[in-house]
Amino acid sequence: MMKAVMSRLTQGAQRTPAWPRPWRSRLAGLAFLVAFAAALPAGAEPGNCDSRSVSVHCGATPSAAFDADGRLWVAFVHDQQVFVGHSDDLGRNWSEPVAVNPIPEDAEHNGENRPKILIDQDQGSTNHPAIYVSWTLKTSPRFTGEIRFSRSTDGGKTFSAPRTVNDDGLLAGHRFDSLFQTESGLLYLTWIDKRDLKANTDAGEPYKGAAIYYAVSKDRGKTFSPNHRVANHSCECCRIAVAPRGPDNIAIFWRHIFGANTRDHAVAELTPGGAIALMARASHDEWRIDACPHHGPTMAQSAISEDDYHLSWFSNGEAHQGIYYGRFSFADARTHDVIHIDGMAGAGHPFLETYDGTVYLLWKGFDGNKSSLRLMRSHDDGASWSAPETLVATSQASDHPLIVKSGQGLHLSWHTDEFGYIFAPLAPRAGFGATQPDGDHARVGVDTGGG
Amino acid sequence: MRRHHWKPDWRPAAHLLLACSCLLSAAQARADNIRPFTADSFKEIVAASDGGEFLLGLWSVDCPPCLVELRLMGGVLKRNPDLPYVLVSTDPIEDRDLAAEFLEDFGLAGIESWMFADHFVERLRHSIDPNWYGELPRSYFFDGNGNRESHSGIVNEELLASWFKRPLIE
Repeated sequence: MMKAVMSRLTQGAQRTPAWPRPWRSRLAGLAFLVAFAAALPAGAEPGNCDSRSVSVHCGATPSAAFDADGRLWVAFVHDQQVFVGHSDDLGRNWSEPVAVNPIPEDAEHNGENRPKILIDQDQGSTNHPAIYVSWTLKTSPRFTGEIRFSRSTDGGKTFSAPRTVNDDGLLAGHRFDSLFQTESGLLYLTWIDKRDLKANTDAGEPYKGAAIYYAVSKDRGKTFSPNHRVANHSCECCRIAVAPRGPDNIAIFWRHIFGANTRDHAVAELTPGGAIALMARASHDEWRIDACPHHGPTMAQSAISEDDYHLSWFSNGEAHQGIYYGRFSFADARTHDVIHIDGMAGAGHPFLETYDGTVYLLWKGFDGNKSSLRLMRSHDDGASWSAPETLVATSQASDHPLIVKSGQGLHLSWHTDEFGYIFAPLAPRAGFGATQPDGDHARVGVDTGGG
Repeated sequence: MRRHHWKPDWRPAAHLLLACSCLLSAAQARADNIRPFTADSFKEIVAASDGGEFLLGLWSVDCPPCLVELRLMGGVLKRNPDLPYVLVSTDPIEDRDLAAEFLEDFGLAGIESWMFADHFVERLRHSIDPNWYGELPRSYFFDGNGNRESHSGIVNEELLASWFKRPLIE
């Protein structure tokens, strides 16, 4: 096993430098890493990163997506630029990254705010799938920003000049963008918007929180519709979760402000024309707080019932504290099977995805020394869950973990200071390391955590 | 036999000169008094209080309610300058210019101030309070008798008065 790991680590990259020698020996010395060492990146080691090292390992807050041919694409931020790169071997070797914005601009890059990348599965007439990238440009003064969008129609060689999608022309907050493409090809950009806060404040009127806005492109990112408001009074600082709803619509899930100051969650169904098909309260945690939680939710459509959506979120309310799971039904606009997932104070940033009838819930915990990724599975659409297992841990800083879906399964996407960018199989089985006899246990590490 | 020549030792003077010029350039570069907050800083802050009462305020430039609180605290401290108050910003210390600008605006530039100086923020948060989820603003009141109380969200004068066990000057 070790020989195989070492040989893989020493094979070196075709297009990016191999891991430096001290790292190989350090990795070899860490027994708990053996199982997932084979999936470790062959790029630059983060400790060797300087301002000139442009790679997904040295960059910040990557997000990833597959194209129809199985090529993996990432977008990340490096020194005021959004870069896009691709890999044909699931993240072991990477292409030379291409800058999306030629003129440096302050692209937000933190756990809740990262560049988003989507690959159009329809190649169209160009023989290249269109690549869509969105991000939030931080503008001055404080808390203001713009929703930026760019696309490539030549297979990632060049990108269109970045465009601002919010159409109010105001120096106000437009942040926390989410990008999604429907089955029918419509492109939705959703974000948190402070134009209504600004209008009210300018008029001397009180206004709670911010608002949720969106725009739709019907021509694969060439143009966008006027902006539509989903709801007034959202929380100001948590990412918005998005999932498909039929061929043309999307479902979104966000932290809202109910009543005077209860920061629980809402679900809405958005349509291409701007009409909101449904809006409902989706969590009853009773978190009454004048504060920014910086903990956005996650959502995935059920593979069994198209009206059901798996939800996971964080709260520290009177009723609920920690990470929760629930399943929202559009049939009765209520959330069912609400389950407490993890109450440790360091736990947060859950991510849900489904594959082959199984629901996967991934999140990050912290025990005082190490951040670890934990995973739970449900084989009955969220009614019951496996005991959580710990996949991998790091004793250095790390990003929020994401799950990326391909035709072949689910993959972990996680940026860490210690290991660089980890892209590793999660389901249906680990493509490396120990696999459980039933073939359905994703193991990235060998350390199995308790409940 | 070795011959001894008296040679003036300029080293102390040189060091002094160097130290002065460093201090001067540091002062020019850093108009603020913000200190880097690491995993040991919380202990240092508590130790420096020498067991006395004080209020610790955690905030971020990226948190609108925090700015409401800082504005309030700026007013409270103007009227009650003797309230012991320490601020910790959870933003990376690289953003110190922006943080300093806020503190200046709210009349809090003279307050003891720290900023997160390790981007393994989970560890820094844990060093302050393992039971804090990271929401902001977050306040801790140390009562001088070894007890501390915490509060998430914007503080108000009533809460401050109850913590400090004395009416605030309005």
